[in-house]
Amino acid sequence: MNARWEVSSRHPGAVATLGEVWQYRKLLGFIGDRALRKMYRRTVLGWLWLFINPLFPIALRAIIFGGLLGVGSNGLPYFLFLIAGSVVWDTFSNSLMWGTRSLEMNRDLTDQIYHPRALLPFGNMTPALLNMALKVGVLVVAVIFYTAQDGRAYLRTDIGLLWALAALAVALLLALGISFFTAIWGETARDIRFALSQLLSVWYLLTPVLYPLSQVPEQHRGWMLLNPLAIIVETFKWGLFGVGELYRDQFAATAAAVLALICIGLTYFSRAEARTVAER
Amino acid sequence: MPARSASPLSDENSLARRDGPRKRTVQPALASRVAERPDLDGGWLVAADADQGLVTRVRELWRYRRILWFFSLKSLQTLYSKTVLGPAWIFIRTLVPLGVSSFVFGSIMQVPSGGVPYFVFFLAGQVPWNCFDGPLIRGSRGIEINRQLLTKLYVPRIILPLASMTAGVAEPVIIALVLAGSLVYYRVNEGVWYLRPEPQLLAAIAAVVLVLAFAFSLTLWTSVWQARARDARFMLRYVVGFWLFLTPVIYPLSAVPADIRWLAQLNPLTAPIETFKWALLPGMQHSWGWFLYSVGATVSVFLAGAWYFTRSESITMDKL
Repeated sequence: MNARWEVSSRHPGAVATLGEVWQYRKLLGFIGDRALRKMYRRTVLGWLWLFINPLFPIALRAIIFGGLLGVGSNGLPYFLFLIAGSVVWDTFSNSLMWGTRSLEMNRDLTDQIYHPRALLPFGNMTPALLNMALKVGVLVVAVIFYTAQDGRAYLRTDIGLLWALAALAVALLLALGISFFTAIWGETARDIRFALSQLLSVWYLLTPVLYPLSQVPEQHRGWMLLNPLAIIVETFKWGLFGVGELYRDQFAATAAAVLALICIGLTYFSRAEARTVAER
Repeated sequence: MPARSASPLSDENSLARRDGPRKRTVQPALASRVAERPDLDGGWLVAADADQGLVTRVRELWRYRRILWFFSLKSLQTLYSKTVLGPAWIFIRTLVPLGVSSFVFGSIMQVPSGGVPYFVFFLAGQVPWNCFDGPLIRGSRGIEINRQLLTKLYVPRIILPLASMTAGVAEPVIIALVLAGSLVYYRVNEGVWYLRPEPQLLAAIAAVVLVLAFAFSLTLWTSVWQARARDARFMLRYVVGFWLFLTPVIYPLSAVPADIRWLAQLNPLTAPIETFKWALLPGMQHSWGWFLYSVGATVSVFLAGAWYFTRSESITMDKL
């Protein structure tokens, strides 16, 4: 019976926050489960949405942009091209939206028990990760289908796949880094969420998901590369299929910037969380 | 009393309707109904009007027109209230996506535009499209967002979607202004009037009215669904997002292969949007036959919707 208690203030800062998240990792599954349940509450179709969500829009866009308007696709079947880009983009945008809503959605939980607030953006991204897994599944099926149909190996089987994996990871981390800021803002102001979804729809068009970067007129291409997502998406497609170009330096710079963003974000988050809880 | 809770004439409903248009008949009706129905054993039964025809409802709407005006103003204010930038926010929110998408579709994807600059073509499609998109999405939320209010006092339900639709008209107006500005720009810089100053400009007005009427007819359905189930909202967003691509807004109808063009024309929005472009810009095609088809489709959706809305409003109230 000689348990010792230490009562002290929490240490703000990126490392301390991450350490605390790790300590409480068992709660992550619980928070993810809550997010999934919340998504389908009071809906008629329920869990079917999990499948409708990723597949239907991609199929329709493939028909309109690939079939009707004949947008280029670096020599790949348009559907394959589109789903590869969508895996990265949707992972980014869904994670960002779920991460942004994390504090606001779990307010009732935060009021009742102690847990590190930084756990919420991590745990709340579960629906986005599930969505990503489904799309990767569709991507695999599409690759197998087109390989069998055209008798041509579309997928690379070399080190490129690691680049693709890295690109996906950077997209996810970028979403996480931004959510450390937007989650704090979004807890008090709901319109952050709406503004963000508007911003994302514009951002989507400016990211080469529907079209290859090579189709952008020469004089605008430099501007397009200022968009970190453009680099990430292009790297992913280059890594998977060997199409387009690998912007090695820009990708390295993006990855470094994302890591820096996460550190700053965690610091900001850990300082702000005490304040926002007190203000409520 | 299971019979009572299952019927649309239940208690909650009666409370919401106590100030209704048939107020004067409530007391006598109560006495007689209770006497007639022994199964109620002293419970309340206030009859909701079951036999109101279209004319009665329109007359009622006219009687409540000031409330309609009030809610419309309120919905316009929600566009920019509580935002930092105020009314400037509406402009930014409308114009930035327009500029970006016209760059992406016109300059990157090289979508054909029938001989006029893509930006002009794109705006001419966006004006009627936004007369559909905004009013439908906002109107559908009408009942849902005023849930609290509806449980407290009586207003004709139809006022709520109708008033919420008003806010959706702001965007097409802004886009039309930009369109006018870009037409002037091309006149000054290239010396070409892309606008055709001919009497067929009137057809553009008819097209806009038709699109608005179609949006309203659909709102009669969607606002009821949305008050009942949450995924009606997601579903609507989805469907409208697809609908945009299936309608010749960002591309001309002539880009659709001729053998499946009739399929695109079955969409009631295709004809008015094509007519709008034809009325404004040179070198466009349209067909009055398909325009009449769209009028017919709108009228049938409206009549069915009016019936559905009237039938559902009392049932929906119970589920709010």
